[in-house]
Formats: sequence, C-alpha cells, structure tokens
Amino acid sequence: MSRVAGRTDWAEDDDEDSTQLPPQQITKNKDGTETITTWAYRDDGKKVKTMRRIKKTTIKQIVNPRVAERKHWEKFGQEKGKPLGPQTDTTSVAENIAFRPVAGWKASTEDKEAEKKKALATTNTKIKCRICSGDHFTSKCPFKDTMQPEGEAAPADMPGDAPEAGALGGAGGSSYVPPHLRGRGGAGEKMGGKYERDDLATLRVTNVSEFAEEQDLRDMFSRFGHVTRVFLAKDRETGMAKGFAFVSYADRTDAQLACSKMDGYGFRHLILRVEFAKKAT
Amino acid sequence: MRPILLSGHERALTQVKYNADGDIIFSVSKDHVVCAWFSHNGERLGTYHGHQGALWTVDVDPTSTLLATGGADNTMRLWEVKTGKLLKTWDFETSIKRVEFSPDGRQLLGVTEKRSGHLGSIVVYEIDPDPQAEQTSEQSLRIVCDESKATVAGFSYLAQMIIAGHEDGTVSQYDGKTGELLYNAPVHEPDMQITDLQWAPDRTYFITASKDKTAKLVVTESLEVLKSYPTDTPLNSAAITPVKDYVILGGGQAAMDVTTTSARQGKFEARFYHKVFMEEIGRVRGHFGPLNYVAVHPQGTGYCSGGEDGYVRVHHFDKPYFDFLYEVEREQANL
Repeated sequence: MSRVAGRTDWAEDDDEDSTQLPPQQITKNKDGTETITTWAYRDDGKKVKTMRRIKKTTIKQIVNPRVAERKHWEKFGQEKGKPLGPQTDTTSVAENIAFRPVAGWKASTEDKEAEKKKALATTNTKIKCRICSGDHFTSKCPFKDTMQPEGEAAPADMPGDAPEAGALGGAGGSSYVPPHLRGRGGAGEKMGGKYERDDLATLRVTNVSEFAEEQDLRDMFSRFGHVTRVFLAKDRETGMAKGFAFVSYADRTDAQLACSKMDGYGFRHLILRVEFAKKAT
Repeated sequence: MRPILLSGHERALTQVKYNADGDIIFSVSKDHVVCAWFSHNGERLGTYHGHQGALWTVDVDPTSTLLATGGADNTMRLWEVKTGKLLKTWDFETSIKRVEFSPDGRQLLGVTEKRSGHLGSIVVYEIDPDPQAEQTSEQSLRIVCDESKATVAGFSYLAQMIIAGHEDGTVSQYDGKTGELLYNAPVHEPDMQITDLQWAPDRTYFITASKDKTAKLVVTESLEVLKSYPTDTPLNSAAITPVKDYVILGGGQAAMDVTTTSARQGKFEARFYHKVFMEEIGRVRGHFGPLNYVAVHPQGTGYCSGGEDGYVRVHHFDKPYFDFLYEVEREQANL
C-alpha cells in the first residue's frame, strides 16, 4: 500500500513530464558538427523539439591592433550592458543579393524581364502558332497561306483530302470541322486577298544556324535572283534564330535554281536544307 | 552578397560614415540619435544622446577618438567615440548641414544653413585631438557664402584648400588658411543643388552628386570635370571605391513623392558605374526609399547605404565584384 501511495499516478507522472521541458542537449557528431536539441512550447501549447546541427569553424582574421582593441570596447548609450554580439532588435541579415558587375549593364534589361514575367503570370497561357511554332496566334502567322500546320499532311500530297474535310471531315472519323477548315471546299472558293502569297516561288530553309541573321540569308539567296521576302523565325525571348526560314523569289525559276544550289550548302557550321514550301490548306 | 540590415533608427537616415580603419560605421538620422556599429557583423557599439533635433551630418576623426555631428537643433557637437560622452557643443543661429574633419584631424569644418536673415557660412575650428582637453569656442576661419549657400564642403589634401558645393550647382575652392575664394566653377546644371561631395583616398579629386541627376568627378586643384555619370534619377550621394575603379551613386525620387511610387519605379538602388569608362555596370537594390547616403569602406571591401526608409544596409563585396574587368583592363593585366 505504502508503495502505491508513494508513487505518483502514471497519468500524473506523464503530466509532470510534459510541463517540465528537458534541458538543452548538445551532442558532438563524428564529423565535427554539433547537434543542439532544444524543447520549447509553442503558442498553441504544443511541445516542440528543435534540432539544429551546426558546424563551428574558427576564422582567423588578422586585424589592425587598433581595430582589435575597439572590438573589446564596452557598449554605451542604448546598448549599455547588452551582451557581446549583434542584437536581434537592431541587426538582422537581409536576403541574399546577387551582384555581378557586367559591362554595358542596362536598366531596361531588368525591367523587361520583370514585365515579361508579369505578362506570363497574367495570361498564364502560352500562345503557340501551329504553323511555325512562333508565339503568335495561328491566324496571325505570316505563313498561314504558304504552310500547313505542323504535323498535318499537305493537301497537295493527298488530293482527295481537302474536299472530304470540307464536306464531313471523314478522315478523322469525326463530323467536327475546325473553323479554319470550314468552307474550304475548293481552291476556287478561297478569297485571293492581297495577303495571298505566291508560294510557288517560296523556299523553306531549315537547319539554319541560330546565330544567323536575316541579312545573311538575303545575301546568300539573292545570288540566284530577286528575293522578295526573307523571313527568319526568331525566338522572341532570346532573339536567337529558331533554325528555319522562308525565302520568296519573284520568279519560280530562280527559286528552283536556288533550291538546287543551296540545298546542302554549308552555312555557319551547319548544312542547309532547302526545299519548296508546301502549300497551306 | 548578403547585406546586414541595421534597424536602430526610427526615422530617415541622413548620413553614414566609416571610420578610417573601416571597422566602425557611424549613422545619423532625423530621430536625434547617433549610432555606432561594427561593420563586420552589424553589432551596435553604442548610441550618442544629446541632440534635440534632426541630425544632418556626422564625421569621425582619423584616429577614431572624436566624433563630430551637426543637426537641426542649431548645434555642432563633439563626442568621444569610445564612451559616447559629449565633449563640446557649439551653438549657431541656423542648423548645421555638414561637418568634416581635416585629413590630420586637427581642424573641424561646419556648414551652416542660410535662413531668416542669416547667410550660409563655412566655419572652421581648431581641434585638440585629446578627448580630455578643453576644446576652443573660437572660430579659426569663417567663410560667408553671400551668393549661393554652401550645401557640402570638405578639406582638400593637407587642408590646403576648402572645397564647397553650392545650392546653385557650382563648386568653389577656398584657401584653407585665409578663406579667400580662389575659384568658382559651374560643375552641375544651374540651380541644381549639389547634394554630396566625397573624396578619393588621396583627396586629389572628388565626386559630387547633384539633383540634376548626374555625378561628376572633379579635380581638386583646377576644379576641372574629369568624368560625368548621368543617371535617370536625382542623386543624393556619390562615393568613389578604392581598390576597384568604380563609383557608387545613390538617389531616388524625392522623399515627398515616395509614397506615390512603387519601389521599382522609384529607382531606389545603389548604382555602380565604372569610374573610367563612365558606364553603368550594375545595381544593388534593397531599400524601400531613396538612398540618402552611400559610404565606402576605406579598404574597398564593402559599402553601406542609409535610406529614407530608416535602414542602413551594410554590404560586403564578394568575388564577382573584385573579379570584374573590362576587356581592355584584362589585356593590360596580361601584358
């Protein structure tokens, strides 16, 4: 009986344990680090165990004796009697700033980046052209008349396809006809607006170096005849070429000559591939 | 680069300064208190109490024993750096906008404000470097600026000359002994106040910052403008960095317009320019208000800036800062 009375209830025992926090423990690890374990109560009354692993390194710094002496000066004023080391109420460490001097630094570069990010965040959709993979709508693509969307077969190769799609779109087994294909029953019905390009004399150049400039291409291709238009697809963000371009000639025979001569031509460590641009649907 | 944020002040900072060894930073703000900080870890050494008004300026003597301050309570005060004890108070009719010790620490210069019938002036006192000694109340020199008031001033090498920047954008050179006006040069745009004047380590040239959005590097001897650093914002401060040939400019939208502009638009950044090529090489952001003062560590290992937002930010430069070279500099180094 006396044993029972002397011993506190196990429930009480547990209670006592929880009110008394274990003391701070410092254990030394093999790799020279120390683990500091502390317990504390959070605002909501829960006990929290904090484990911090720290590595202590002694940095020896040789300073001027005057400076060394000043480090041991007693604090005064509002700091009087405060312990050594920075006080958290007056001194804190700010977030890391990457500072890297560069020649020709421009304020605008930083601004633009921020703006771009903002624009991306607001729209949150990436516009991608299905024809040239550029960042504009497919309907705004400069090649919508000369090219067909990527991954779609050219109607020229499959003559029966276009009317079929126009009628029922039976090729895919679906009756849905996308808006851009509607009313394309025949070539004769198409509006021959001023934007229609003579795709017969347009060459598609691929495997172009990403450092290429439009002017380089114009210089190269104008050897074979009058070039009416050169388009080099560029990435809007980086300004680098995407690797393909279109070159239009005034005359188809010039284009044909250029196609035969320039296909396989080495330009800036890459072999150009030149072919006639396929007609868009 | 991880800046140390010093938040001991309650109001806008007006000036920050390193001592000659660069281990202590002194800061003054509009909250009447002077603070001393260790630059290596941001620990506050102490505070100096006594001023009754906003403080505009602070300077420390070359041996880090005496500290001078000036403020809107129309006094200039001398303190013992180590203990925070007030040693001497000089009373004036108007507020003190700038104080500076001579290179040998034997003279102290003060710039007084022009107000209510009192002309702006530059006063000089002889200083006894012993903190125990009684300091004189007698001015050894008094230069009255009757044309345009001086806003900043300092001693040239060997205290031979006193260089002052004026409210009308001109810089003038006075004889250090007699106070005679030797030159007056229109360095900045007319009627654009010169806000800061900081010396190169050898004091043969200095940099001025102005409200006309430019900073200029000027020769002490002839007041010839060597270099000009144009920016897009009114400047409050400019500093020359030792070791590397850079200048640091600080400024931003005027304090009264700050609340109407975002941190981004306000251009509250420290701008780094190459001293020789006059080209901007980078910026350091962080403050939420205009930078009122930038000071460079005398050994060129870091800089600190005091802002209208009430914070001092202490930066220790890291490797890319020291490694950066222009192509021509690199070629020169390899020769």
